[in-house]
Amino acid sequence: MQVLTFLLKRFGWMIVTVWIVFTVSFFLMRQIPGGPFNGERVLSEAVRARLEARYNLDAPISEQYFTHLWNTVQLDFGPSFKMQDFTVNEVLAQGFPVSAALGILGMVFAISIGMTSGIVSAVRRNSAYDYSFMLLATLGIAIPNFVLAALLIVVFVFNLQMFPAAGWGDISQIILPAFCLGAPFAGYIARLTRTGMLEVLGNDYIRTAYAKGLSPRTVVLKHGLRGALLPVVSYLGPAIAGILTGSLVLERIFVIPGMGSHFIEAAIQRDYTLAMGALLTYTVLLFVMNTLVDLAYSIIDPRVQLE
Amino acid sequence: MSISDHQASELERLTKILREAHDVQGVSLWADGWKRLKRNRAAMTSLWILGVIVTLALLTPMLPLQSPIFQDVKNRELLPPQWDSFSLDIQAYDRETTDLEKQSSAAQGRDKEEYTRLVSLIAAREQTHPIKLYWNNPGTLVTWMIQLRMAIFGDYCIPSIFGTDKLGRDVLSRVFWGSRVSLACGFIATFVSLIIGVSYGAISGYLGGRVDNIMMRIVDVFYSIPFIFIVIFIMSFLSSPGIREPLQENGIEQIHVFFLLIGAIYWLTMARVVRGQVISLKNDQFIEAAKTIGATRMQIVFRHLVPNVMGIVIVYLTLTIPAVIRFEAFLSFLGMGVNAPDISWGLLVNEGVQVITVVKSYWWMIAFSGMALAMTLFALNFLGDGVRDALDPKLKNK
Amino acid sequence: MVRLLRKYFPFLLILIAGLSVVWAVNLGTLPPAEFVFNNGTEVKTIDPAKATGVPEGRVINALYEGLLRSVPDGDPDELGRTPTKPKAVAMADSYQVSEDGTVYTFHIRENAKWSNGDSVTAEDFAWSWMRFLHPETASEYNYQLFYAKNGSKFALVDLDEGDPVEIEMKDRPVTGQMFPRGTVRRGKLVSLIRPAPDREHAGDDSHGHGGGGISGPAIFVVEFRQGEEISTAAFTIQDIDNPEIQTLVSSYQGEFDLTGLISVEHVLFDFEHVGIKANSPHEFEVTLNSPTPYFPELVAFYPLHPVHRGNLEEHGDREFSKPGKIVSNGPFLLKERRIRDRLRLVKNDTYWNAENVHLNSVDVLAIQSETTSLNMYLNGQLDWDTKPPNTLIPLLKERDDFVSTPFLACYFYRVNTSKPPLDNPLVRKALNMAIDKQTIVDSVVKGGQVPARSFVPPGMNGYQSAYCGQYDVEQAKRLLAAAGYPNGQGLPTIEILYNTADSHRDIAEVIQQDWKKNLGVDVTLRNLEWGTFLDTLRIGDYMVSRSGWIGDYADPNTFLDMFVTDGPNNQTKWSSAFYDDGIEKAKYESDPLKRMAIFKEMEQTLMDEQPIIPIYFYVSLNMVNTRIKGFTANLQDVHPLHLLSIDSEGSED
Repeated sequence: MQVLTFLLKRFGWMIVTVWIVFTVSFFLMRQIPGGPFNGERVLSEAVRARLEARYNLDAPISEQYFTHLWNTVQLDFGPSFKMQDFTVNEVLAQGFPVSAALGILGMVFAISIGMTSGIVSAVRRNSAYDYSFMLLATLGIAIPNFVLAALLIVVFVFNLQMFPAAGWGDISQIILPAFCLGAPFAGYIARLTRTGMLEVLGNDYIRTAYAKGLSPRTVVLKHGLRGALLPVVSYLGPAIAGILTGSLVLERIFVIPGMGSHFIEAAIQRDYTLAMGALLTYTVLLFVMNTLVDLAYSIIDPRVQLE
Repeated sequence: MSISDHQASELERLTKILREAHDVQGVSLWADGWKRLKRNRAAMTSLWILGVIVTLALLTPMLPLQSPIFQDVKNRELLPPQWDSFSLDIQAYDRETTDLEKQSSAAQGRDKEEYTRLVSLIAAREQTHPIKLYWNNPGTLVTWMIQLRMAIFGDYCIPSIFGTDKLGRDVLSRVFWGSRVSLACGFIATFVSLIIGVSYGAISGYLGGRVDNIMMRIVDVFYSIPFIFIVIFIMSFLSSPGIREPLQENGIEQIHVFFLLIGAIYWLTMARVVRGQVISLKNDQFIEAAKTIGATRMQIVFRHLVPNVMGIVIVYLTLTIPAVIRFEAFLSFLGMGVNAPDISWGLLVNEGVQVITVVKSYWWMIAFSGMALAMTLFALNFLGDGVRDALDPKLKNK
Repeated sequence: MVRLLRKYFPFLLILIAGLSVVWAVNLGTLPPAEFVFNNGTEVKTIDPAKATGVPEGRVINALYEGLLRSVPDGDPDELGRTPTKPKAVAMADSYQVSEDGTVYTFHIRENAKWSNGDSVTAEDFAWSWMRFLHPETASEYNYQLFYAKNGSKFALVDLDEGDPVEIEMKDRPVTGQMFPRGTVRRGKLVSLIRPAPDREHAGDDSHGHGGGGISGPAIFVVEFRQGEEISTAAFTIQDIDNPEIQTLVSSYQGEFDLTGLISVEHVLFDFEHVGIKANSPHEFEVTLNSPTPYFPELVAFYPLHPVHRGNLEEHGDREFSKPGKIVSNGPFLLKERRIRDRLRLVKNDTYWNAENVHLNSVDVLAIQSETTSLNMYLNGQLDWDTKPPNTLIPLLKERDDFVSTPFLACYFYRVNTSKPPLDNPLVRKALNMAIDKQTIVDSVVKGGQVPARSFVPPGMNGYQSAYCGQYDVEQAKRLLAAAGYPNGQGLPTIEILYNTADSHRDIAEVIQQDWKKNLGVDVTLRNLEWGTFLDTLRIGDYMVSRSGWIGDYADPNTFLDMFVTDGPNNQTKWSSAFYDDGIEKAKYESDPLKRMAIFKEMEQTLMDEQPIIPIYFYVSLNMVNTRIKGFTANLQDVHPLHLLSIDSEGSED
């Protein structure tokens, strides 16, 4: 019941947010001079008028707004202005799984690398491992992912020739971008894990556990990890937002046909409908992911109340 | 009499307490924080590094650097880092002009035709003075600094130890000039976010009740808006014809709006944190005291509450600055931030990425700008951690 | 439940992560294609009637085939370039031209088939060309068929009283879809009723590509003949209850009865009176307004490729070209289309010449970054890179997989002649002479491009280009002084506009410095994305703008007719009656020598007035894997995929 009201409330706020984003972006995009119909050649007025009529651009702006809003409510983002063979829904449907695959793999990298090094650091506190991992973590956080990507391309693509330079459609093509995407978050997660573990490992009950004669491995993995999980899960929300943004630039560097590429290109080419469709999708995605994270958080920590 | 005596002694006592309290508090927070920060070696190193970077960025026009924009495609295209000396030709040019001036003053009165010819020639030389070629519309202060540089170093330039780019411009100089934009963006945008966030949070927290509720709901909604995507919209919007010109006529450059925009999206966390602090402080006695002496609400918020949340604000500032610098680099990298002839590190990294290839890697194009960016962010992160530990031990390692 | 969940949460998380990784990794892997090339960008559309760019052309030429095909043919010239010629090695196996050069008869080969097995007929072409010209299709290239008799009247709805018209009723079988069309009635326009002030406008028969058309409220009174019976009816393309139409009806005082006014979809010039006709299933006849020597080149151009009527009518404008639905007649079929990733083409077995198509599968990639594309080529991920980055060209030139040759294209700057001080030809000439084009060519673009001293590139048959002067700083200074700006004093800041691309920026920056250094002119740069850039150019909101023009066919006309007064691609506000007359005269001149002489004179006028500053002539730059055979350097940089083959003897790398 509590979960249900929580979800309903969240849903309500999501609608409000999406509506605000829709309205702001709608009016912004319509302010921009430079219609969508520019080819190498100039269109005659008659042709331009016909095209504008076809895309409903000749109606008064208030009417356009409401038609567009109603279509959006029905999840119909209309035709893409620039890619004449596709509707926005088709473009997003093609781009989303690609970005999702990249994002998930990046996240898995971030969590697995981050937590492993965090645990090692916590267990071997103040050792050389600890210092070097924490240094690496800060590096990962500090260096922008596009600089990292350039570095890794030079090393792994040109020098070691382990991975292809760019593209999509093969396992080897996804590893490098996913790693670059996950790196900063691996850094954060490593630090959070370390702190969380140290806090837990300093508690009385851990000492009791040791006293009971449990092996250090059991203690660390069973109790320590649980303590580390809380801050990590609560960090997943911002991390997901960061992964979404990071994929914008990485998809561009590695020529990956995901949502990020479509969004940037749409914004550059003023593909009104596509850009707005992508923006709204991002908004909803962010909301849903945050809600999931909150749910997960309430599951692992009984003290947390959903509200 | 006795009452007033009593009052006097009471007053004295209270004043003493207040003074003591004042002294104690005044010393503890900042001095204590500074003491703790000084013990943190990583943070102190970072502070020094940042100090150097910021100073260099501020003094860039006075340093004996080559021109950041003058090209020499023919002779200096994509030169690797080197120590071959390089100098400007400004002094020679100035000498020639002085000679001409002498000639003209000699000709004055004697040969009118020659005189007018020389005067117009001098005016023409003013028009094509190399300073105008070597620096992009410097402001008054920057011009003055460049003149100072000419006075100190003359035509001497540091050789192209960072190599040159594909139009033959000196990378070292570009990295230095780029640092100005990147850092300025970091500080200005953070300052904007500071102003908005602190006022918003403080007002919301102090007023409380329904106003607070609404204001915080707005923040909640804003939190779930993917602002970075909206900024990308707005940037392309701002560069559109029909939008750009009216802005420019009012003296607003794209880059200014850009700073503001970034600042305007980083205030949310600040607002939340400040609000939390204000709520915990607003029922304290010193606020009651301020109320009894008739301070207005705004006075209370900005004169009494805000100074008391400065500690936590500074902690968040040190975290915001690197985030903002990274975001600027990110946008410039995507081609949506700073535009040529302005230079920023993100732009330089982008130029570098354009030329790393299997055939030949022009590594100097990306190595130095990337390193400058990474080093600054790295130092800012360490410093941020240190400041947080020092000022707010409770937050340690969060 | 929750406690159970709590206990196993970490494991659940790991499980979810593992499953997602498996899913992510399995996502959409494709077996590699035999031949992979980078097309430079995502194609906007593969509908021949709507496409405009070079990348689109590469794909459409592989999927569809027109009556003729431009193929490299003949002996290479001294630069190793093979001329391209439109030849009847496509849907038509031969064609005749009438004595006066105005009637073309194409014979469509018997074994020409669509991919669904249907025969390709003359009717397919007539219908496709009708669609191409139809105003609702809004094809940007439709002026290519304005050479056909009455073609422009149909496309621009340029109607006069007395014209034959066709009326499309509002009864389209599928709503929201242009084809199949509603019922079409044919008759004669006897009266065109429009509000008074606009009437004069309608009479203004603008011959150009830009104007024409009937906008605003209008009522068409049309006369129908059925045997002896004559009837009239009134039509409008607006709604009946449109207030403007209502006023028009109520204020009408003419002889016709407007009571039964019908709202219809279109009133157009009758296509049956346009010079495009299917005489028989295999004979297709085109009648032109005037002899047009380069008409075969236009016919070979991809916008005039046919589409399958049934395919389009079934699926509609947008859906018909989707993989699985598309019916095409070219050497390849569209197998898969991934946005901003690739198009997968496979060999079409129903193609008439299928036995001579050697590639079984082709991947067309859409990589925008020149560097990434080159890296992929060098890593063996690509077989053909169409756009290697300028910086590296000197290094790449040494390799034997670098194929480069000058072709028919010019990189130039447009100057807005309506903005002072650029309205002064002397200033424009000074600007031209102060650009060190040789340095740009040698040190910036580096591909062996030729500095342009004229607008029409060399290599046009029998044409000798005009001349606009060398790099001459002193002369430039003198010209500027003569214009009243000695040493650039008093000259306002000049702004160079370019569309966002690294190479354009580099060139603009070099020119900025040239002008500053040589003339003392302050120059600012401004870049815009392609779409906005074009709009800005069109409304003339610029001072100097980067431009490029690729000849659509090998005739000076494709370059020179741009700059007639108010021509849609003029965009410089430059206007010269002398020039307009000359270009018009050349159209009707049948003596090739005289024609070229006229063109030369006109180009010299253009160069003397300098509304444009030519910078350099392009060269084609291709990196092609040496195992690929059949790739020939040619004048138009066209490399039809069906002519390529893989040399199995050659090295794999």
